[in-house]
Amino acid sequence: MRWTGNIRFLLLAPAVIWVLAFTVFPLGYSLYLAFYKIEQKVEVKREKQPMLDAAGKPMLDDSGQPRTKNVVIKDQVNSATFIGLDNFKRLFGDPQVKEAIRVTLLFVLIAVPLELVFGFLLAVLFNQHIFGRPVLRAVMILPIFATPLAVGYTFFTIFYEVGGPLAWTGIPFLSNPNGALASVILVDIWQWTPFCFLVFLAALQGVPEELYEAARVDGASPWDMLKEVMLPLLIPTIVLVLLLRMAEALKLFDIPFAMTGGGPGVATQPFSLLAFRTGLRFFDLGYASAMAYALLIVVMVVITLFFRRLRVSYG
Amino acid sequence: MGDRIPGSKRGWGEVIASLIAITVALIFAFPIYWAFSQSLRNPIDTYTVAGLGVPWINFTPTLNNWIDQLGTPETVQALYNSTVIAISAALLALALGTPAAYAIARFRFERWKNRDITVWFLSQRVLPPVATVIPFYLTMRYLGLLDTKFALVLINATFVLPYVVVILRQTFLDLPVELEEAALIDGAGHWGAFWRIALPLAAPSMAAAGLIIFAFTWNEFLFAVSIGSNTAITVPVHIAGAIDTRGVQFWFMGVRAMTAIIPPVIIALIAQRYIVRGLTLGAVRG
Repeated sequence: MRWTGNIRFLLLAPAVIWVLAFTVFPLGYSLYLAFYKIEQKVEVKREKQPMLDAAGKPMLDDSGQPRTKNVVIKDQVNSATFIGLDNFKRLFGDPQVKEAIRVTLLFVLIAVPLELVFGFLLAVLFNQHIFGRPVLRAVMILPIFATPLAVGYTFFTIFYEVGGPLAWTGIPFLSNPNGALASVILVDIWQWTPFCFLVFLAALQGVPEELYEAARVDGASPWDMLKEVMLPLLIPTIVLVLLLRMAEALKLFDIPFAMTGGGPGVATQPFSLLAFRTGLRFFDLGYASAMAYALLIVVMVVITLFFRRLRVSYG
Repeated sequence: MGDRIPGSKRGWGEVIASLIAITVALIFAFPIYWAFSQSLRNPIDTYTVAGLGVPWINFTPTLNNWIDQLGTPETVQALYNSTVIAISAALLALALGTPAAYAIARFRFERWKNRDITVWFLSQRVLPPVATVIPFYLTMRYLGLLDTKFALVLINATFVLPYVVVILRQTFLDLPVELEEAALIDGAGHWGAFWRIALPLAAPSMAAAGLIIFAFTWNEFLFAVSIGSNTAITVPVHIAGAIDTRGVQFWFMGVRAMTAIIPPVIIALIAQRYIVRGLTLGAVRG
């Protein structure tokens, strides 16, 4: 049977064109922006204009002159100046960027491994014969799909230091820079450990029963079973989950936006939040584009490291 | 799910494992429960509630917050917008992605290699959205589409497109090719084989993919807050606006958080069987 007709291009084309239009084009545009200093100024002018009455005729004052009013005219003026690599150079000397990199790296390097470890342990636990497993598994799905922004605000109320449910611990969950970063990490662990857990559980249940039997016959202890049977078989899945979690964790935005607002100060302001604020709150669009590109390059390096693994998974 | 007891004995081990599992599940459920508990409290109970904030035991519950919030035009607007945007984006992504998934699953692309096309779609998913938000914002401003649902449908369809492509690709690969080949021999043509044979068989999977990407679009915040501020306000943006000059009103926040969380969570429970495959972009089967 021939599966090479030209209709394959017709089937594929809409999706490819769509991605080109809404991903590749914006990325190209933003690269262009990164080489410019874009300033948006509002020019304010005052002008005297004649006052009109309801019929559209000029109103006259007592002396018969047309009455005038002062009108403020605001004009938004955009200017783009080519500045070459200056935006990228500026990145290296910017203390906010340095802090955002520190926050993002700490977050990724602490949260992601913990999520994988907890997720793996929970998967091993749930892989046993336990009461009410379907219900418990369903409960574990909830955090993954809970709206991150709502989660952020909910945890804001949970970590609230005056009258919150954890106030009795006296831990400065939100007011201390390190405490706040730890809280962001904790929320991410709450939300994404279940994801690692679900995937690992699915993979564990795909392990053929015979392998466990064989190991048991050989007199393997539960620990041996974990180390010699489960872990090696799960390596491909672990690598995949690691990649997906790292790619997501580098995008961290919603939770700090909602829970800490990036604070106290900029102690929990990840790179995405900084780029968003620079671009769409302070409208330093060129510089924000350069920031976004720096993040993009980091993500691309991460993906490239895992690329082979990915190709095998989808081969 | 088969019951499996690797290396463990029944009896006490089982009981202890179950107790740990129940404790863990309760810990993970607590924050959502807390938001719900908060939504039932009178403002006066906010900071003084004792224990675990159990309604009727620790405080007298009230539905006033729900009535107040659901009666606010802005809340209704946000719920309506989010629903319209999520459904439209899901349908659009399915319409674009399903034929592409079929093409990758069935046909051979010699020059580009099928799996490289798949990974190309996937790589779009791992891009940091903040890299496209600024050019997208400027483009929409240029087109006069800022603060419209249309702009949010466009961008969300783009984000969820890779999910559709990889999930449906796997679905088509799992379908027996013989049915379509029989149709081809009968002279149905490739389009006929796709439209009349493969598509109906893939319908359940399309529905599951549609549900999952509905949830993703519902939860999206970065683009929603950048593009839509008033008429195109979505539920997460509405929540973010809840901090006003009176500070955070925890009791209203509870309601808003619950209205945001309930739809995607219900969807996740409906589409449970497909979730693992969906979340791992088709790489692991649940």
